[in-house]
Order: sequence, then C-alpha cells, then structure tokens
Amino acid sequence: MYFQDLIFTLQKHWADQGCISPQPYDLEVGAGTMAPYTFLRALGPEPWNVAYVQPTRRPADGRFGENPNRLFQHHQFQVILKPAPKNVQALYLDSLRKVGIDPMAHDLRFVEDDWESPTLGAWGLGWEVWCDGMEVTQFTYFQQCGGFDCKPVSAELTYGLERLCMYLQNVENVFDIEWVKGVKYREVFHPNEVEMSKYALHESDPQMLFALFEAYEKECKRLTERQLPLPAYDYALKCSHTFNLLDARGAISVTERANFIKRVRDNARLCAEGYLQMRERLGYPLLKTPWTVGEQPPVLEGKPASDYWKTVQLNKPVEKKEKAEVARGA
Amino acid sequence: MARDLLLEVGAEEIPASFIGPALDDLKRVLTERMAEARLKHGDVRVFGTPRRLAVLVRDVADAGEDIVKEVLGPSAKAAFDAQGKPTKAAEKFAEGLKLTVDKLGRSQTAKGEYLSARVEEKGRPAADILQEALHTAVHSVNFRKSMRWADVDVAFARPVQWLVALLGGDVLPVVFGDVKSGRVTYGHRFLAPGAIELKAPADYEAALEKAHVVADIAKRRAQLVEKLASAAKAAGGRLMEDEALVDQVTNLVELPSPVVGTFEERHLDLPPEVLVQEMKSHQRYFSLTDASGKLLPKFIAVSNTPVRDEKLSLRGYERVLRSRLADGRFFFDEDRKTPLADRVEKLGRVVWQGQLGTYLEKVERFRSLAMWLAQQAGRAGEGATIERASTLAKADLVTGMVGEFPELQGVMGREYARAGGEPEPVALAIFEHYLPRGAEDALPTQDAGALIGIADRLDSLCGIFAIGKAPTGAADPFALRRACIAIIRLVLGRGYRFKLSAAVDEALRLLGPKIANVKRKAGEPAPREQVLEFFRGRLKALWGEQHRTDVVEAVLAAGFDDLVAAQKRLEALSLIVGRADFQPLAVAFKRVANIVEKQGKDVKGGSINPQKLVDEPERHLHTAFTQARNTVTGLVQADDFAGALREITGLKPAVDTFFDKVMVMAEDKELRENRIRLLTEIGALFNQVADFSKIQAETSAAA
Repeated sequence: MYFQDLIFTLQKHWADQGCISPQPYDLEVGAGTMAPYTFLRALGPEPWNVAYVQPTRRPADGRFGENPNRLFQHHQFQVILKPAPKNVQALYLDSLRKVGIDPMAHDLRFVEDDWESPTLGAWGLGWEVWCDGMEVTQFTYFQQCGGFDCKPVSAELTYGLERLCMYLQNVENVFDIEWVKGVKYREVFHPNEVEMSKYALHESDPQMLFALFEAYEKECKRLTERQLPLPAYDYALKCSHTFNLLDARGAISVTERANFIKRVRDNARLCAEGYLQMRERLGYPLLKTPWTVGEQPPVLEGKPASDYWKTVQLNKPVEKKEKAEVARGA
Repeated sequence: MARDLLLEVGAEEIPASFIGPALDDLKRVLTERMAEARLKHGDVRVFGTPRRLAVLVRDVADAGEDIVKEVLGPSAKAAFDAQGKPTKAAEKFAEGLKLTVDKLGRSQTAKGEYLSARVEEKGRPAADILQEALHTAVHSVNFRKSMRWADVDVAFARPVQWLVALLGGDVLPVVFGDVKSGRVTYGHRFLAPGAIELKAPADYEAALEKAHVVADIAKRRAQLVEKLASAAKAAGGRLMEDEALVDQVTNLVELPSPVVGTFEERHLDLPPEVLVQEMKSHQRYFSLTDASGKLLPKFIAVSNTPVRDEKLSLRGYERVLRSRLADGRFFFDEDRKTPLADRVEKLGRVVWQGQLGTYLEKVERFRSLAMWLAQQAGRAGEGATIERASTLAKADLVTGMVGEFPELQGVMGREYARAGGEPEPVALAIFEHYLPRGAEDALPTQDAGALIGIADRLDSLCGIFAIGKAPTGAADPFALRRACIAIIRLVLGRGYRFKLSAAVDEALRLLGPKIANVKRKAGEPAPREQVLEFFRGRLKALWGEQHRTDVVEAVLAAGFDDLVAAQKRLEALSLIVGRADFQPLAVAFKRVANIVEKQGKDVKGGSINPQKLVDEPERHLHTAFTQARNTVTGLVQADDFAGALREITGLKPAVDTFFDKVMVMAEDKELRENRIRLLTEIGALFNQVADFSKIQAETSAAA
C-alpha cells in the first residue's frame, strides 16, 4: 500500500462513518491535537467528528535526514469522535483491517498509556495500540482540555502515518517509503528534513525568536480580551512553535523551561475559555444537528453534556483569593 | 435453595497493574455487604483479564438470617404516670412497633429500668440485598487513575462495556454509567467476537475457556509460566527469571501465546543490563540465557492471539527490537565519547530538589560526608576511592542511556567508568552506592560503595527533614523510609561503628547554607531530633519483625547511637528474656528503675560515700556492684553483651536482700540520698544494655 493510499483508505473509512475531512490546519503544530479541530472542538457540549492529516513539526527531532526513524516533520492521521461512540474500538479495528492489518494474523493489543500535554493543560487516558509489539496508534479519551473538563468525552485516534506505512511496506528506513509507484518519501521530503534540521538546530536566531515569542504572547492575550478566541488561538500556536524552536536550539535553560511552558498553557487556557463563551453565545449550533458517528449509548446515570455546561462558570474570577492574601500580607 | 452469584464488569482494556487491586475492592465490598445483611454464602472466587473483572459467589442463601433484637423504649419512670397508666411516650413506643403497651417487657440497664420489646428482624430476600451490594461494589472500585467516558458522571479505569449480574438464572438489575446489567458476556476479542449468553453463574469459567479466555489469573499465570519454559527449552536456552514481568504479562493477555524471536548477535557486546532493559521495559519481552547465565541473542514475546503465521508477527517483534537496540547502541557509543568526569559539571544544571540545590551540590555534600564516615568507621584507607567514586557517582544521570532508561542508573555509571579507564574499585563503587535498591536487594561488596551510599541517603534524609518535607502517612515522595532502612542495613551489614547522631550533625552542617533560613513551626523539634526519631521508628519496625516489641523498646530506650552495639544488645537480651528465671529478675530491675525515676531527680549529683553505707546488705550490694561494674565495663567494650547481662543478673540476690532489709527512704537525709545514689548508679549500669523498665511482665505464663 502506497503512502497516499494509506491516507485515502483511512480518510474513506472515517468519512463513511460520518466524519468530515477538513484539510490540514495551516499553521505549524507539534501534534495533530493542537489543531483547533481538536483542541477547541473537544470543549463544550457539541458533537464533532473529524478525520484529517496533520503535518506535525518537532524541531528537536530533526536529524538532518540521516536517521531512519526520526523526522523534523512527520504526518499524523488524526480522528476526533465526540462523543466517543460506544463501539469506537471496533470502528478503529475496522480501519486497520482496511489497510491490511488482519487481527487474526497479527498480535493487536491495547496497552495502557496516559497522555498529557503540559502546554495545552490537557490530559486523557487510553492506550498505545500495538501491532506485533509496535506502536501504531495513540488512542486517548480526553478528560481535560485547557483546564476544562471534557463533557462529553472525545476519543482521539492518532495514527503515525510514516511508521504505520513503513510496517505495511516492510521497509526499515522512512525515506524508503513509496509515496506512489516509483516515487519515494526521500524524493519528496529529504531536502526538507536537511534544511529544516539545519535551521532549527544551528541557524535559527534565538534573539529574534525570543522577541517573537513575546510579541505572539502579547497578541494572544490582547485578542482574548477582545473576545476573538480563534485568532487568539492562532497566536497561542505560534507561541508554542516558537518555544519548540528555542528549545531545539538549546536556548532555554532547564529552570526557564517550566516557566515558558506555563506561559503557553496560560494562553491556551484563555483561548479555551473564550471559545466556550463564543459557542455559548452562538447557542451551540451543532447541538441542533443530528450528527453522530457509531453507536451512541443512552444517558442512564449522569447529566447530559448540554445540562452540564449550564453549570460551568465561565469567566471565573481568576486567583482572586491569592491576591487577597498578598494584600493582607503587605 | 441456595443459588450462585456472578458479577462481571466488562471493560475496554484495563491497565495490567490495576486488575488485582480492583478485584480486591469488588470482593471486599461485596462480602462486607452480604455479611451486614446476614446473607450466608459459600466460596468466593475472583476472575480478571484486561477486559473483565468478575466475582463468583457460590451457594448464596435465599435470604438474610432472621434475628431477634431487643429494642429499648422510654425509661420505666417515664412510661407510666402516678396512677400507673401508660404515658404518651410508652404508647408511642408500642405503636412504633405495632404492639400494645401490655405486650412490652422491661429490661434492667446500667441506667435503670426501661421498657423493652423483643422484635424479630426478618432477613431480606437475597435479590434485594445483592442488587444493592452489586451497585455499591461496582461504584466503589478505586483505581490509581480513572476516567469518564461519553456523558457519564461515574469513572472507571477504562470505559465499561457490559455488566453481567446473575443470581442463579436471574438477572439482577444494576446500572453503571451508560450500561445496564444482563446475562451476556464476550470472549476473546478476535477469536470469539460474538455475544455469549450465560444460563447460570457456574457456567462462567467454562464458557469463557471455550471462547479462548483464561479468566482465572492464577491459572493463566501458570499456563504462561509453563509455555515460557517450554518455549525457552525449544529455543535452547533458559528463561531469565523475572516474577514482576510474569505478573505484568499475565494481565496483559487473555490467552498467553509465547513466540521466540532473535536479534543480531553483534549487540551482545552491550552491557547485559541494557539488553534486558531494552527488551523488557518497552516491549515486555523475556530474555534468554545459556546454562552459564550468559545472554543469548533471543527473546520471548507473548502474544494475546495465537496468530495464523508466527513468522509474520515475529517480523514485527524483531523489527521493533532492532530499532530499540539501534537506539541503545547509539546511546552507548555516544555516551562513551564523553568521559564521566567531564559530565560532572553538567550536574550543576540538574536540580535535585528546589531548596536543596543541584545534583552537583548534593555530590559535593555527600562526598565530604562519606570521607568523614570513612574516618569515623576506621576505613580512612578507602579515602581515594571514595573521593573519586563520589565525584562520579551521579554523572551517569546526564547520559543519553540513563535519560532513556532511568532504571540503569549506576549500571551505566559503572560501565562508562570502566570504559573511561577509572580504577575498577571506583567503577564498582559507583554501581554499589545504589545498593540495596529494595528490601530483597543485596548489599555492596566493598566499603567505598557502602559508605557513599550511606552518605548520599543521609544527605537526602537530613535535607528533606530540614526543609519541613518529612514523610507524612502514606506520602513519602523522596522514598525516605526506604533510604533510612537502607542506611540501617548498610551499617549493620558491614559493621560500621560510628555515632549516628554525630553523622546526622555532620550531614546537617554540610547542608548548612541551604537550610539556614528555613522557618520551623512553633513547637516542632529540630531536624536532628526528627531524623533520629525517624531512625528509631524504622529500627522498631525492622527489629520488631524478629524480636519482641517491648525488648526492642527497652534496647532503643538505652540508646542506638552505635547501631551495631544496639543490635548486639538486642540479640543478647532477646536470648534471656524468654527464660523462666528472667521474670523475677525483671521485677528487681523494675524496682531499681522506679525508685531512681521517682526519687533520683531530688538528689543532687555526687558519688556514693562508702563510709555512709551503714547496713550490711547495702555494703554487700555496693561491693557486688563495684565488682560487677568493672567487669561489665570491660565486657561492653568487648561487645560481649551476653556476658555483661550475665554479670548484671548476678546482682539479683544482692538487690533483693537490699530491698528486703534496707529502708531506702530513711529519715536521715544523707543516708537516704546515699542509698538513692547507689541505686542510680546501678540503674546506669543496667542502662548500658537496656532500659529494663520497658520490658513487659508476662501476666499469664505460657501454657
């Protein structure tokens, strides 16, 4: 199966289930999770079912095109199912069957894995899915995003496309993957790996990047105050990527690192809150659609998501208590 | 007619380590609830796989047992008025029980006479009791981490997919989240995907077995062990023992199917610990050795599905390991390009603990402390090795390999030290300073590693206590309990003689600037006292496993500054306390201790004036004591505590006669004080071994 046939097969499988197929988000992200199709849409009561390819940049993983397994930029196939259908595991296993992985011929396993993103204030529980001992997918039930509880809970499936394809094509080097007949991954992306690695690890200008980080951070804050969470989130993503570039360049010390992560997370939180307010103002339009994927279980115990969100206090007075204590101490 | 009960919670794959504790919870809650409701039952069994947690209870009675209870009403005084007519209170009480007042009885209690009634409490039907019990049980499983799914407000390890709740042939209605109970279970995910209808609880195990699931954990483990052994044998090797890995893999599969794979022989020049770790920590593969214990280039992976063609899935297993070993080789080669000594400086950028500074600072502190300990313990000759090994002890923390596999700390330090041409004793000490890593682990074989290990741990202990982060309850994030027990085992195991309190002082002195400005809570003891108290607690626990608690207390009360001596005193004392003739001795000791405790503080210090000893028995006791003291001092110095105890117990007749014939609390002040001084000194002599007043008299002689 050629690289692009793998993408088409997965795309078709999930589209047949009722997912929409947006095109990759056009900003630099470190994971498919960071695209607004995932991070923001996982919040609030509305349904959301998408499957998309997301090119993913990890400057610190740049290896100048010399490592057979590591890339500056790889491709994730990202599926978000909200609410997670009751049969999500079965739907996922069907997708593997379609790309040629027969569960009777391979050892397929769901092995415990906890996922956490400190820069997004997000975490979830799930598995890494093993095929004959190799991780082929990250499978996560989101519990929190931007510090807010996810309700209903989304299932996130992240297929590592290069790794999966290497396995299917039985090649040992990512650059040997056949993209289409006669054209290899090497021809398409090798120069990109070489140049991007050189840039990120040797040539980037830390002074400029620090200045950009500050500017992006400020702009993100300003836009959240103007109730524009979507452009604000773009700037949060730019902050995150700039941080990754600085990190890869070794420009951030161990002690400063935690602080930078916190600055990105604080902005992501503000965007999450702004997004929730916006959806509330709009009256949660997607709730009015009949959009579902897979089997939807009845609510027997617990509140439906739409009721839950009525009880969530947005615009929380932030850290007021701490300030009061400081005042008393002064 | 008694019926069986089955509860099965079917879930998406539950983490392996969660399964055992979750089954304990289910079983405990269920049996507790049945006991409370007086519902009799037979055998209780649990079953668990990644996809199910189940409890099977045999022979559950149809209903709880009936009992007759006495219910108390108003007091007899309040129940009848002056005319003897029942009051409102009495009538209300009777009415509540659907009786008339004349049917009520009277009961005497400590508070007086009360109206009473004997009420029969009927046992509830089993179905009622169990419906509630099952609901409570599934809602009270505690997981280390749990999650919500869909719209539910309940949480479980992973989403629950189905519930089976059967009492005999009937379904008990239970709801958990978005799942209702029924009689349908599922077998192996791929080999038997269809629904399985259970007629009765007793069919459970066999039905699953037919559906390719071995639900009984012990049975599945035994199968795994057996299959591993025969796979190893067929591959011409021996399985490297790893109980923890067997436990883990047992709970990663429903049906264990081992397959043997190979890796390139050239990787065998990597340290065996690296190979084993690469195979086990990410991949959960078992390692194989030859008869001499040398690693073979082979492994066993355990599949959950007996696949159609082993070769196909082996291709995957081998491929993953190949890329892991390539990583490992990369780290090993890269790491060796930089000598360990050059990495030490980098430790200055790794924080050990926020307030206590970096690893570099810690290394400098424990190096000084280890040198100090070597002096004190008469191992100054090891100085050069200790100094060098301390400096390098933590340098492997900033290597690529340890970054990838933290479990290999120490092992990599040793290997890289060897590769860098450090003397072998230095390389060994770097590894051994981490020993013992747990209760079962071996101690270091050489002094350098042992003394560095004591110093490193004592620095952690004193530092963390000094900044007020001592362990509380179950929370012990710096594993200080384990560190403290390791210090004790090291000191005793290697027989180091030094003053523990002085070592604590030295450790705190070295920490000086880091802890100078820490504010302590009012009334909180100084760190030195807290640390020593912590040692006392660990010693009590450790020694309490083999010795009587009161004997341990008695020895600890007489001091444990020299741990080796304290242990010898304990052993000597334990030997004699069990003997029949010790009992009267203990009484004599206690009398001395009591008088010293009560009267001693009013007596000014000073020595006994032998001229003032007027009565024969006290002169005799003084002579006997003076002799004994000389001998005991010599014996104690020679660590002969059994001998010292023999000598001390020899004083018993003289002590007894003294108490019989001599009035300690004489009118004459000088006479009285002289006698108390004599007893005080005798008490001090005893105290060289133990505080005998702590030893419990056995109230009832053993039969």
